[in-house]
Amino acid sequence: MKVVRGCALVFLSLVGMAAIAPEWWTRARYDTQFRDRPDAPPSRAFPLGTDALGRDRWARLWYGTRISLTLAPAAALVSCAAAALAGGGAGWMGGFLDGALQTASDLFLSLPWFFLLLMVRAFLPLNAAPLASIALTFALLGALGWAAPARVVCAAVRRIKTSEFFFQAQAAGCRAARVLWRQLLPNVAPVLWAQFWVAVPAYILAEATLGMLGLGIAEPLPSWGGMLRELEGAPSFRQWWLFAPAVLLAAVVTSLQAILSRKEDSV
Amino acid sequence: MVLIVLAAGFICALLVRYAPGALVDERELDPHLSEENLAALRAEKASDASVNANFIRYLRGAVHGDLGYSESNRAPIAALIADRAPETLRELAIGLGGAWLIGLAAAIPAGRWRNAHLYDGLSSAAAALLLSVPAAVAAYVCLLAGLTSGVVLMIVVAPKIFRFARNLIVPAYGAPHVFMARARGLSESRILFAHVLPPSAPQLLALAAASVSMAIGAAIPIEAICEVPGLGRLAWQAALARDLPVLVNVTMLVALATTVAMTLAGARPWGEERKPEATR
Repeated sequence: MKVVRGCALVFLSLVGMAAIAPEWWTRARYDTQFRDRPDAPPSRAFPLGTDALGRDRWARLWYGTRISLTLAPAAALVSCAAAALAGGGAGWMGGFLDGALQTASDLFLSLPWFFLLLMVRAFLPLNAAPLASIALTFALLGALGWAAPARVVCAAVRRIKTSEFFFQAQAAGCRAARVLWRQLLPNVAPVLWAQFWVAVPAYILAEATLGMLGLGIAEPLPSWGGMLRELEGAPSFRQWWLFAPAVLLAAVVTSLQAILSRKEDSV
Repeated sequence: MVLIVLAAGFICALLVRYAPGALVDERELDPHLSEENLAALRAEKASDASVNANFIRYLRGAVHGDLGYSESNRAPIAALIADRAPETLRELAIGLGGAWLIGLAAAIPAGRWRNAHLYDGLSSAAAALLLSVPAAVAAYVCLLAGLTSGVVLMIVVAPKIFRFARNLIVPAYGAPHVFMARARGLSESRILFAHVLPPSAPQLLALAAASVSMAIGAAIPIEAICEVPGLGRLAWQAALARDLPVLVNVTMLVALATTVAMTLAGARPWGEERKPEATR
């Protein structure tokens, strides 16, 4: 397994480095149109061909990778922060807050995650500007993903509160702030870290599915989901290059899962 | 359970009321409308401003089978749901039934032959790979291969069931009483049905309930891509057309389905008893 994880880490590093600044090494920007070459098949100049507007798919793939790989962790950070606040607060305070958290998370989790995402996305403007659509999509992912991690964090805080070292710290006269900082946070951090790594691939996949259904990031900004919409026009597997975003996405998510299994082992 | 469904509906109604453009009618843009007509339209919309009154009116109508009217489909919502539910139910039955068969059939050998590391590694890798493909992409690929939406759902849900079931069954096969049963010469089928599955039954039941939620979530992109006239496609079209009354109804229906499944399984959605799943 170590070899697999090592390969996954190397692959993710390479993809990450390639996606940091695609403008340095790709032939064109994501929105540059080659009007004389629309729908071109793969060639040396355009490794994945061009789309119906004559834009270089290879360049768009890497710009889209940058967006997904930057914003999925950002959204995961948002949901983990919300989970830490809600779950940690409920677990620490107990009583009414704990009950309120359970009820609220029951409510959130009574709906399938993707359905909830689709529903709330529909209530927000669909014709948002490209940058606003990025913020909207990933803010939504972050805001709606708090419930499951909050429950895990709440359970972890409750468990820590009944542990011997916690009682000992209290008996030694530690102030609440110090107990929180020195005893609770270091023990909850691995749980939050694991939740973060669970959320990242889930958000990447959710963005891709939303994009494919026309509810994701708006044109002309590229995203994996937006590029996968081109599959709609693929009559057969012969146009293999249209599947390139799906292959890269699957490889990235599989690599993240391989690394995630390591995180699980360590928690 | 009823409270959760009602709360889901009420929150939806709140979202509908405060969604951008909720109190604006597109007909107001019509230059042919007179001032009186515009005033009447605005008054009609203003009467919809109270969330509580609207929700109570909706519930009263729902009791009598009136779920409202879909502007985008130009049809009563109750009729739309009645038309589309059978297709989704059929798809869910095929998808979930097949996914459980495949998931369990793939998980049991991993526990039964504890030294079959190659099989365990390959099956886990295959599951991880399938889990890394968005449901919509899987739907496209299956569509090109001529498979039906039920089969696509099966392919999307089976790896999740396999993964959770494997994590339950492998430790169950390693329990001392299973070794003892094997030493006493019990048949493998008896070991499975009497000594492996019963201790895992509560978790498997919780997984069964969770799989309903997974399948409903996956049904939306699959129906949208495979053009299946089911509830998932209805929800997607309603989302694109911002047909919010349809979304409220479908939301309550989905919340009802998942909470019934969770209640029947005796599990709270993603509760502490299922924490190992949540951390995965």
